[in-house]
Amino acid sequence: MTDATLSRILYVEDDADIREVVRMSLQTLGKFEVAACDSCAAALELVDEFNPELLLLDVMMPDVDGPTTLRKLRERASAVGAPAIFITAKVQAGDMARYRNMGVLDVIVKPFDPMLLSSRVEQIWRGNRSKSNDDVG
Amino acid sequence: MTTSDDEFSRELTRLTTAFAAQLPQQVQSLEDDLAAWLSAPRETALFDTLGHKVHQLKGAGGTFGCSTVSEAAQVLEQRLAALEADATGAAGSDLDEVEAAMQVLRREANRMYRSAAQRGKAGTQS
Repeated sequence: MTDATLSRILYVEDDADIREVVRMSLQTLGKFEVAACDSCAAALELVDEFNPELLLLDVMMPDVDGPTTLRKLRERASAVGAPAIFITAKVQAGDMARYRNMGVLDVIVKPFDPMLLSSRVEQIWRGNRSKSNDDVG
Repeated sequence: MTTSDDEFSRELTRLTTAFAAQLPQQVQSLEDDLAAWLSAPRETALFDTLGHKVHQLKGAGGTFGCSTVSEAAQVLEQRLAALEADATGAAGSDLDEVEAAMQVLRREANRMYRSAAQRGKAGTQS
């Protein structure tokens, strides 16, 4: 299991500027395959065909927020066990515990350094893989 | 630096310049949204739209290297929250603070815009 590498990331973000810089960072620096979209509805259209290994979700979106998007995506067989990372400009006291209870691996806080983003995502992913292997072992 | 780093660094410069170029328009949009909400303070959807845009600018500003814009947006977000919490809506002192925060945001947005324009001019001359 430790040999498994991250390749497909489904990314949902309503801010077009941030979406573009994150997509480019993940694709160019991380060499990940990225499906980027602007809403929960668009993500639900993509998810079955894309079959993501990781969900990267903005928290504050105008129509359907990140936590609800995560819940809806995980109702699909293609994402039922997919780990998730949230990106947000606001983490209030208690949020992190609530997110972890939802199965979110970690939170990346905006603003972030785009040059370091892909390595941060991979670090979180590897941490989860390592933990999963420990739990199995 | 690897080829990927170089490639991304060039793209990031392009995106950052494009982001800074539309900052004055973004602030104008916030000012329009604030005016719309002040004219109809019971319309919570107007306030939500304004709040969401300010929140986005706070996150995007720092990510694109405009930390002073991000900080100014954060202050505006806090002032707006205080204004919204005031049951009377556009109360005097809270509104003054919102308008002062908006002025700081506009000043920083214009500064980043001019800086990006100068960099663009220097880039085409080199």
